[in-house]
Amino acid sequence: MVTKEEVMKIAILSKLFVAEDEIDRLTKDMSEIISFADTINNAADEGEDFDNINNLSNVLREDEVVPSLDRELILANAKDSDDGCFMVKNIMK
Amino acid sequence: MSDGKIAALHRALVSKEISCAELTEKYIEAIGQDNEKLNAYVTVTAETAMETAKAVDEKIAAGKEIGMLEGIPMTLKDNISTKGIRTTCCSKILEDYVPIYNATVWDTLRAQNAVLLGKTNMDEFAMGSSCENSCFGGAKNPHNTDHVAGGSSGGVASAVGGNIAVYGLGSDTGGSIRQPASFCGIVGLKPTYGAVSRFGLIAYASSLDQIGPITTSVEDTAIVFDAISGHDTMDSTCSGRRGAPVCDSLKNDIRGMRIGIAKEYFEGVRDDVRAAVEEAIEVYRSLGAEIVEFSLPSLKYALPVYYIIACAEASSNLGRYDGIRYGYKAESYTDVNDMIKKTRSTGFGEEVKRRILLGTYVLSSGYYDAYYKKAQNLRGTIVKAFRNAFESCDVILAPTVPMTAFKNGHAVSDPVETYLTDICTVPVNICGLPGVSVPCGFDAQGLPIGMQLIGNSFAESKILNAAWQYEQAGGKFKAADFGVKL
Amino acid sequence: MKYELVAGFETHVELATNTKIFCSCTTQFGGEPNTHCCPICIGLPGTLPKLNKRVVEYAIRAGLATNCEIAEISKMDRKNYCYPDLPKAYQISQYDKPLCEHGYIQLSNGRRIRILRIHIEEDAGKLVHRRGDTLVDYNRGGVPLIEIVTEPDFRSVDEAKEYVERLQLIMRYIGVSDCRMQEGSMRCDVNISVRPEGSDKLGTRTEIKNMNSIAFIAKAMEYEYSRQVDLIESGEKVIQETLRYDDVTNTTSSMRGKEDANDYRYFRDPDLVTINVPRSMVEEIREGLPELPEQKKQRYIDELGLPETDAALLTKYRAVAEYYEAASEGTKNPKTAANFIIGQIFRTVETEAEKESFNVAVSAENLKELISLLDEGKIRMNLAKSTLDKMLETGKRATELIDESDMGGLDEDALEGLCRQAIDANPKAVSDYLAGKEKAVKAMVGFVMKNSRGKADAAAAEKKIIEMIK
Repeated sequence: MVTKEEVMKIAILSKLFVAEDEIDRLTKDMSEIISFADTINNAADEGEDFDNINNLSNVLREDEVVPSLDRELILANAKDSDDGCFMVKNIMK
Repeated sequence: MSDGKIAALHRALVSKEISCAELTEKYIEAIGQDNEKLNAYVTVTAETAMETAKAVDEKIAAGKEIGMLEGIPMTLKDNISTKGIRTTCCSKILEDYVPIYNATVWDTLRAQNAVLLGKTNMDEFAMGSSCENSCFGGAKNPHNTDHVAGGSSGGVASAVGGNIAVYGLGSDTGGSIRQPASFCGIVGLKPTYGAVSRFGLIAYASSLDQIGPITTSVEDTAIVFDAISGHDTMDSTCSGRRGAPVCDSLKNDIRGMRIGIAKEYFEGVRDDVRAAVEEAIEVYRSLGAEIVEFSLPSLKYALPVYYIIACAEASSNLGRYDGIRYGYKAESYTDVNDMIKKTRSTGFGEEVKRRILLGTYVLSSGYYDAYYKKAQNLRGTIVKAFRNAFESCDVILAPTVPMTAFKNGHAVSDPVETYLTDICTVPVNICGLPGVSVPCGFDAQGLPIGMQLIGNSFAESKILNAAWQYEQAGGKFKAADFGVKL
Repeated sequence: MKYELVAGFETHVELATNTKIFCSCTTQFGGEPNTHCCPICIGLPGTLPKLNKRVVEYAIRAGLATNCEIAEISKMDRKNYCYPDLPKAYQISQYDKPLCEHGYIQLSNGRRIRILRIHIEEDAGKLVHRRGDTLVDYNRGGVPLIEIVTEPDFRSVDEAKEYVERLQLIMRYIGVSDCRMQEGSMRCDVNISVRPEGSDKLGTRTEIKNMNSIAFIAKAMEYEYSRQVDLIESGEKVIQETLRYDDVTNTTSSMRGKEDANDYRYFRDPDLVTINVPRSMVEEIREGLPELPEQKKQRYIDELGLPETDAALLTKYRAVAEYYEAASEGTKNPKTAANFIIGQIFRTVETEAEKESFNVAVSAENLKELISLLDEGKIRMNLAKSTLDKMLETGKRATELIDESDMGGLDEDALEGLCRQAIDANPKAVSDYLAGKEKAVKAMVGFVMKNSRGKADAAAAEKKIIEMIK
């Protein structure tokens, strides 16, 4: 059972607003999904620690510099930028 | 019966039966005519397509040799990064995002002069089974536009099934290539995890995502898979294809091949779907394959395990959409935190937000052990079960989806019921195995039914070999009445 | 009641690799904002991390130099939190399988500060607040860090200061970091609690974040100790919270807003594979480790007979120690080179950076040549000292600056002649000396030294002058 309070807490962690009129439906949906997910707790597992699917290890890169991208490209998709930086404008001032 | 389109077009280009520009124009015209009904493309790149086509024609005119995929018009799902071409994931949050780098798969195909017609529709961030969670509206089924194309790679399946692309690349996290391929009556391969680079694929669930081809024939799938699979230094989890190109063994005899049937795959499957798959089993018997029956009891946990892991990874992968560096940004806000929350709350659709919340929940303190950790352990158990199964069989045959394409707007309001439609496709992703969906019949309404062949890790050659033999002996491909008639 | 301080450290050290931890951008400090960036380190959708091999090696080096056990199997995890300086909204770090565990650093009072773990992770970018706008620069984003976490083993501010200095020294020695606190390549978080002396229960702790100077650390700890003691004495409770130290007001203040409940939701990063550390690799790295500063200092004291303060000064920077060893090798008395370096050469290096690189005007080889002239009795100490000053000024070799004629001391007659001249020229000094002002003789010695151009032995001249006056 997922409570309203838990949904609110999770929403804060997820950086999402949950509107007043959404909260009940969302809590209900989450509860249903979680109780469905709960079925796994009936399963006996062999306590196997899952690693990565192909058991790969030590995929490493040499420490060699590759030139960085032009700043124009780096900032190309930003809605606001100034002085070569990404910017969140203070729109309250 | 479906012959390879790619090889046929390649021959036509080489023999100058048709020029690449003419071919490309045909497809662009067809898109202009049919895309309104199919809603497959969300971005059309006619200009660059024609540029590439002309370059290919010049090459041919100069008497140079061209590669198999050179000049063949194709499409990419809109979660595969294309430098200079808008890549949206069909989400408002990325509505105007233009990547500054190419996904490895696109770099590979571009280097071979693949003609990109445009980017295709999908469920937002690949989360969904109908393509209707797209901010552009869902792609339609070319066999009946009152029905969905499936999801999440619905746009690719609709375009390829509707003949407005020769082939396309989709991505499959829990069935997103195979399910729409099944719904649209075409072929879709989810490769072994690590066979194809994920670099540039906008992540949904990193340990499950894999890029693969959607085509109208098994041969085309084999050709495209051979082209895109390979080691990539940009993706630590990508070790590449193992062994010879799958095209080499595509037409091998399958007498004596052991085809495994696990009864759990047939539970809850609609009767007509079951009947079609059983008919395919008989085709295999007639081809001299050995049918091996067994049980996979842990399969019943696959779906919850999938949703826990996929949502957990998604909640982390989608944290970066904060409006600062790219994508949609809320216009009015009080401070940085408020801007981020408004951007995300407005930019993401309902299903995406639901999965982010779910994923955050299963990872949060107090719940981690009961959900995420337990799911990881069970993942290990399911992997083991499949490994054991492949000791007694070479490929596993199962339905792709328990039903056929839903009606538009039928998207079930109950999320759990919707998730259940993924029941046959998710085990392959959990175990990192290759799976290919092949058309194996039609329901009473004429909607396609698909079956999937599942192989052991890196055994694409086996499942495609089995798929090709079936296609030749009893394949149920039927071209839809849209697009380019070749 | 008396209260005991209990503290633990979490220290972030930027590794001196060429490239970032997960992409091939440079780690160079400074640079125009966002010019050391690529799709990977600004977290563009679809990008994937690729682990830098040298980061793993450096972390193991740091672990071995601090007596840690090196894990055989390690992995990378995601630490999820949303902040504008963190482009992916998660930091790739290590949670339950750090590369190094269970080490220690020994302090001069004999106490061992236990190191709980050392793990690798990526740095965040930088936020600048300007007239209410927030500007973000990701040049630092993705620079490799090791985080060194100690047990709460500190009992005094002095221990903390010594620990930070030692850690800095070790990391520089083994070449994994320049540890420049003012540039942020070494930053400390300190956990502090207090308890009645004699108690073995831990009090409620606070954490002071991100301090980048040893002086601030000391001040902040002192302030926080008093604040906590005052709270307890006045019957109030210490609240567990994260604090920021303000070096202007010398106070600490709470850092987080009420909404930011911490829940990092760690899980294994599915984009990265397992790190296996074969024992052969650990041994290879161990063999490549240089002599550590503590060992070196002890050797200077035990084998070379240097005083502890000199040994400490010479081993504080690896380059200085290397210079000293090269200059003193094969000379008669290892103290001579030490005296020259500490007494004269140190005056020409001012900044930390200069001390670290120790590129001084006189090469170790040239200093050694000067010392051998002394050893062979060709020149005396005074001439050697003044020559070294000239060498530092001009960069010339000793043999270029000293004439053949200057070699060797003054003979007895010449010395006597000069002393006579000194006495004749300084009648007031003579009368002062005879009246009991013993220092007055120095003026005459100075005259002799000046007129012999430093060749005279000052002690001998003084003795001679006194004989001659009396």
